[in-house]
Amino acid sequence: MNAPIQMAKKDLLSFFRSKSTIFWTLAFPLMMMLLFSSMFGGSSVMFKVALVNEDSGIMSSVFVKALNSTNVTSLVPFSNIKEAKNYVMNGRGSAVLVIPKGFSNNLTSGLAATIYFYSSEDPQVKMAITSMIKGFVDAFLEEYRERMFSIMIQHMPSEVKTEAGIFTKEQIVNFMRMLIKPIDVRAVSLAKSSVTSKTANYRKTSYWKAEGHWVTMMLAYSLIFSGMVSSAAFLSDEKLWETVKRILVSPVSRWSILIGKLLGSLAVVTISQIILVALTILWLRPQVNWSILSIPIIIAGDLASIGIGFLVAELSPNPKAANEGVITIGVMIQFISGLYFPVSFLPGMLRVIAEAVPFTWAVRALDGLLVFGRGLEAVWTPVLYLIVTAIVLTSLSVALFPKWARIE
Amino acid sequence: MLALEVDSLTKIYDSSKVLDSVSFKVNEGEIFGLLGPNGAGKTTLMEILSGIRDPTSGAVKIFDMNAIKGNRKEINKLIGFNPQETMLYDDLTGMENLEFIASLYHMDRSTFKSRLEDLMSLIDVKNLLKKRVGKLSGGQKRRISIIASIIHSPKLLILDEPTVGLDPDARRDFWKVIWKLRDRGSTIILSTHYMEEADELCDRVAIMESGRIVAIGKPEDLKRKYGDKSKIFIYTKLKLLDDADLTLRGIGYKTTRMADSLVIEEDSPSELVPYLISEMSRKGVQPERIEIRNPTLEDVFLNLTGKPLVEVI
Repeated sequence: MNAPIQMAKKDLLSFFRSKSTIFWTLAFPLMMMLLFSSMFGGSSVMFKVALVNEDSGIMSSVFVKALNSTNVTSLVPFSNIKEAKNYVMNGRGSAVLVIPKGFSNNLTSGLAATIYFYSSEDPQVKMAITSMIKGFVDAFLEEYRERMFSIMIQHMPSEVKTEAGIFTKEQIVNFMRMLIKPIDVRAVSLAKSSVTSKTANYRKTSYWKAEGHWVTMMLAYSLIFSGMVSSAAFLSDEKLWETVKRILVSPVSRWSILIGKLLGSLAVVTISQIILVALTILWLRPQVNWSILSIPIIIAGDLASIGIGFLVAELSPNPKAANEGVITIGVMIQFISGLYFPVSFLPGMLRVIAEAVPFTWAVRALDGLLVFGRGLEAVWTPVLYLIVTAIVLTSLSVALFPKWARIE
Repeated sequence: MLALEVDSLTKIYDSSKVLDSVSFKVNEGEIFGLLGPNGAGKTTLMEILSGIRDPTSGAVKIFDMNAIKGNRKEINKLIGFNPQETMLYDDLTGMENLEFIASLYHMDRSTFKSRLEDLMSLIDVKNLLKKRVGKLSGGQKRRISIIASIIHSPKLLILDEPTVGLDPDARRDFWKVIWKLRDRGSTIILSTHYMEEADELCDRVAIMESGRIVAIGKPEDLKRKYGDKSKIFIYTKLKLLDDADLTLRGIGYKTTRMADSLVIEEDSPSELVPYLISEMSRKGVQPERIEIRNPTLEDVFLNLTGKPLVEVI
């Protein structure tokens, strides 16, 4: 057993000295985490909005304060519209929001109020910020109506006599509520059977903001990149440097070589997973439903990933093709395995491919445990699929190894 | 005892015979050379002997063990192989490379250290071991590679073009290492396309061409059997060259006239030279300089194959 351990030790030493493998196994996932956390993280500001507040009333200041507290916009005050427009046209801001004089007075006097909104010409920014501002105004008005409604209720008599009969205060309140909001759309989470309002905390319902998914994502990155890249590199580098000949003339069996490579790759992927998950926890502080069941899922995922890496190295015509092959596969697979959006969002054919990829099932199983807090009974299908693919892929790479090791 | 016995070894790649029924024997303690141009089949032969490649047919015995279908693990403990490539991990230091290779031979730490110290007295790698191999020159890598091939004290050492790329001084230093290893009991098989290397270093030589062994024997025997006669080059002042020619012909020697010299072919030139000098002096034709050129393995190769070795390379 000494030879495989020495082989793994040597491979680990090589790994930590190789800039390209370090990049793909640690730096690249970290970069992706930083990128996506800055794009979708809860505390980040996405849009700078130039604000021209010509109204000095109480309602406009409440409106501005509420808009500022969304953390989706950063309001930059301007004294006139021209300067505000220049700010956006120079590309520094995304939109101009003008609250005209009389805004507060109109709202408190029972009249309709107007705000003006000038958006950047960038179609994507325009679409995003318009829907964001409209959504905010809807939410603000709902809150406004609730407050006005509660003031009216306080001053309402206990009974009102009409030609149709006598109505109690409660009946009138319910009727008025129905008029204000005839249909209430509620999003129901399948995970915990809890009911959350669509307008309530976005963080809880968004695929991205499902906090445990950050941990799933980092673990999946390790599977895709660390496992595949390191295992393919550990095999193909032996041919690149011709060192496979040195090993083949030593009294070490070919199986010892493969076991050593497997141990080395497992060590790399485990180290990478520990580092990435630790950094995710420190950086993003996600709420995760930790489960011991995630360990066998991770190990099965590791083996499947290493199996693919070995297979690519064994089937590639040369070491360069092997290294490029696993990176290409990894880059493509990350987009279809549920890391960034659910597999159900994919078009037909891609969805079929995604369902065959073991990483999709790993993401599904890990999300089931870490995000939704499910038990084995709810995740056994992806676990089973993962274990079967791990066994099949590892067995295939073992079967092809003697041919790879032989020099024709 | 025989260290190696090769019988009718044939290797066919894509219907072309790279090795064609090669047979030879190497005695224990011998330095045996495979001399031939690139493409002669030397590397394929050595890789088959090392167990890296399988032959198409034929048999190989190493220390009386079947090396083709036998227990390769046991045989590999006895052999060391150093191919043309240095076969080292570029991102590890020289020491890390050697430690890893020693671990493949199950060497414990103290055995490795004492063995390395011993080898460092033969090959100077002291200042190379802490550097990453990728940063070393070709010659420096080769020195570490040689140590890697003999760290486990192999009884049979197979070296494929070990001195290629080395300067003449480094090449001669390497020969000394080979002699020392032989003195310590190793049998050495090496391939080369340097004739003087095969001539000086090897006890016996097999001359290979197009996958076949065309001649085998001690360098001296091969030169005697297949080489040309020794040549005596006689240089005089140009105006005396005709007189010298007449004198030599007059005493019965057939000369070949060159631009600035006369050439006589002779089996025992060193015995003849004093006689020629005295005869020429007597006739008043003093030679300015006399050179004796003995036959080389290059001549042997040329006579056997009809092609000069250097041109083929």
